[in-house]
Amino acid sequence: MIPADGAPAPPAAAGNLAGRDVTGLLFAAEMYGVQLDQLAAVLGVTEPRARAVAARWRTRRYAESARLGPGAPWIWLTRTGLASCGVPYAQAPPALSRLAHIRAVVAVRLALESASGYRAAGAYWRSERRLRARLGGRVGLREHIPDGEVHWPDGAPVAWAGECWAIEVELTPKTVSRTIAIMRELLSRTGDYGCAAADVLVPGLPPRHTRALYLCSAAARPTVIRARDAIGSTAARIEIRALPSGAAMAPAVPPRPGKRSLRQAGAGQQDAGKHGTTR
Amino acid sequence: MIGRYVSLLAVRAAARGALRLIRLAIMAALIIAAAPVSLVAAASAATAWLRGWAPGRLYRAAACCAPMIAAWLAATEFATGSWRAAVAAPYLAWLAMWHDAAAGRYPAAATVIAPAAIPVGLVAGGLAWSYRLRSMHTGTGGLSPGSAVAFDLRQWRHQVRTARARITAPGSVPLTSQNGAVVAGAVIRAVGHRPGLLARIPYPRMRSHQVVIGTTGTGKTTLLLRLWAGFMATALQRHAAGAGRPPLLVVLDCKGGADARRIADRARRVLRGAGARATAIWPDEASLSLWALPPRQLTTTLLDLIEHGSGAAAYYADVMDAVVALAVEAPCGPPASAADFLTRLEPGWLSLAYAAGEHDAELALIRSSARQAGDIGLRFRTLFRRLGGGLDGPGGFGDADAWYCILEGTAEIAVAEAQARALTDLLASYAARLPDRGGQAREILLAVDEFSAVSRRLPIWQLYERARSLGLAVQVSAQSWQGLAADDDERYRIAASADGGIWLLRTPHPEPVTGLAGSRKLVDTTRRLLGVPVWGHQGTSRIRLAPVVDPALIRSLDVGQAAYIYRGGVTFVQVKRLVGGPAALPGPAGVTVPSAGRPARGQVAPAPPAHGQPAPPAPGDSAPGPPARDPAAPAPPARGGSAPGPPARGPSASGPPVPGPAAVPRPGMARAPAGSGQSLPDVGELLDEAFGTEASP
Repeated sequence: MIPADGAPAPPAAAGNLAGRDVTGLLFAAEMYGVQLDQLAAVLGVTEPRARAVAARWRTRRYAESARLGPGAPWIWLTRTGLASCGVPYAQAPPALSRLAHIRAVVAVRLALESASGYRAAGAYWRSERRLRARLGGRVGLREHIPDGEVHWPDGAPVAWAGECWAIEVELTPKTVSRTIAIMRELLSRTGDYGCAAADVLVPGLPPRHTRALYLCSAAARPTVIRARDAIGSTAARIEIRALPSGAAMAPAVPPRPGKRSLRQAGAGQQDAGKHGTTR
Repeated sequence: MIGRYVSLLAVRAAARGALRLIRLAIMAALIIAAAPVSLVAAASAATAWLRGWAPGRLYRAAACCAPMIAAWLAATEFATGSWRAAVAAPYLAWLAMWHDAAAGRYPAAATVIAPAAIPVGLVAGGLAWSYRLRSMHTGTGGLSPGSAVAFDLRQWRHQVRTARARITAPGSVPLTSQNGAVVAGAVIRAVGHRPGLLARIPYPRMRSHQVVIGTTGTGKTTLLLRLWAGFMATALQRHAAGAGRPPLLVVLDCKGGADARRIADRARRVLRGAGARATAIWPDEASLSLWALPPRQLTTTLLDLIEHGSGAAAYYADVMDAVVALAVEAPCGPPASAADFLTRLEPGWLSLAYAAGEHDAELALIRSSARQAGDIGLRFRTLFRRLGGGLDGPGGFGDADAWYCILEGTAEIAVAEAQARALTDLLASYAARLPDRGGQAREILLAVDEFSAVSRRLPIWQLYERARSLGLAVQVSAQSWQGLAADDDERYRIAASADGGIWLLRTPHPEPVTGLAGSRKLVDTTRRLLGVPVWGHQGTSRIRLAPVVDPALIRSLDVGQAAYIYRGGVTFVQVKRLVGGPAALPGPAGVTVPSAGRPARGQVAPAPPAHGQPAPPAPGDSAPGPPARDPAAPAPPARGGSAPGPPARGPSASGPPVPGPAAVPRPGMARAPAGSGQSLPDVGELLDEAFGTEASP
């Protein structure tokens, strides 16, 4: 946070945030980060307008943005932004190895939230980041955390009101045995994430996840289907669907002669940020 | 001359005294100069003495301060921009501390010197405490040779107090650790084992043979309950994670009586807290079916249940063998109940059963043994009456996560012996049964308490060998070394094969077990007696062998204290008592669908009434009788032996269908929210809207 000239960083600029800003900031905080085109979908604006919003967040030190991979730039929250949202997450840019996965999960959330049943029921998405934060760094090798949970409030005008779904996004195929183990864990767990160890699996209590919703790429789908077929009587609680459109990352374009290098692009992006626009 | 010699002696004494004073003054000056370090060292060493800590704990505490030092030095360098300032920082802090102290700013002085003084003081305290321990262990410390003994006893008291405080603190002793080890309690003292705060028993050791010895009232049951619950919790977690098979705990309480019932109830509550869905208490609340054994095994078991004489009586044993084999291995299939079996012990029934087909040899055998068949039937009728209905089914070990079997080894030894034999045969058969024949691979722990009381028919070493071949872990517990087995040879064999370790609680004769722990090398130092009661610090030292486990210490163990002996080391543990929750409420109807012949998982078949009492009719049971074992087999004769009748229709023929494997919920998996029999609401419309219509496969 120390500028190159050595002067201390200015404090975050205070300013009025619109309701749309709050929605976008909370969304980006929960999802680790979000790409510009998906942010536009979250805010319900055009991409240039979303770019301007992101630039404003940068100016106020709520967010950072950079072109981390192919496709649109990524926006993630700074420590100031996370503190403003009141979420106890560690600040970090989206990991490069998880960019595709994060994008797919965001696409799944957007697709679900666009469904009329979801909006009518007032369902709530509980992100993986929140679940992980509840564990407080106690994530063991044995515990699998879903990519999200969808909570359907009691009394909602849907038949499945009161249910909690585990969301799993599968881009690359795992082994069938590993997938079965994950399915069993998701469907048998009784306790919330971060609960006492004794409450994780309490006999007699209803399972936490009524269903597990698997959103699969074409490559991962056969494995997931085989695992569901092998799991037995609980297979009825597993829904398998294809990933929604827009879940895949934009294909990487090979650099053309004369194109700016990555460092130059980054520098240009910094400049663009200073001027209130994000390229 | 004499005056000169005396003056020389006086000068030498004065010089020695002066040297000693100078040495003391230098040491005092050093201690005062390094006052913050000295204070921390003294406090840490005193705390270690008071708590009975090992020096390593102080070293670890010092290591934990490393980030603080690093941050302090980094901040110093960052503030000054020079690494030399960081190097000189401790010295400058020391100077600043004295200046602040001289000015009366004591909090500021403490703050300035704390980053350097705390870790160094902890290390110094650890070294001083280590030196003190070593000098006492070797017998060189203290004012007298007895000081080491008093020091050791005092340290034991301190360590016990610390361990008790640890298990009293809520949440400080979990049942299992993060890596799946079973936590037995807080460590009091460790010899030859790595010292730690908690006694963690790795799960593989729970899957090996263990021995537990302790007299009544020493906390043996508390320890056993904790070990069982830990085994159950870890195994269920491993199974839920796909890393292991579902667990099965079988406890044979060979004492019986009201005390066994109380322990059984406690075990059920504790195991329920550990994740076990169903704990069956045999024979009070659940039953097993002896008739589920394979025919050949059933014949052997039935013969073993009856006591045979020797000499001329061996003739009758052979006749009985032949008749029982004919009855069990009849062409129509093995018997399905005790009543069915007793019916078959009649020449008429056997003749009719073997009438069809080429059974000339069997028919000849039936004719020759016809005179004894009645006596054989009488003996078995008497046996089944004494055994009760606990072995007459329905039910099997697969119906529950844990079985607590109560054998009346004190009141009815002969009956308990027969029951023990039958139960072990049933368990062996269940463990060896292949999955495609109704079995399920499970991680089985067989815990036997005072098995020697009932081991006349089945020597315990045989149980060990059989369990080893089947992959079962056996945990043998007894009140004394003598209670382990009938003779010393067997006892040593059992103790020596306890790969999972030996738990030793207070017992009056621990020497045979402590001897198995081996010995360790110690430095033994003699000290010269200068005069009563003053001992000098001159003497000789030698290496001697001392037992790893002190038998006197075992005899003096308090309630709830146990010594865990494993691989030549011992860890003394203050066992944390497990408190079970209230009794489980019965599950809602419709959760599991019990079959007529075999209860579903999560439900255990109730014990049938004793022989001679009418059995309650099962739902849908039109005609009482044994269930049809093999529909393709020829019909057995009707009771009375007058003529073969139609096959008896059992509950399985007319009752509800037996759920397949897919309908049986897996252990560790909770009940479906809407009940197993209810389907979930369809969410296809929502998902179609969100993710598009799914193409049909």
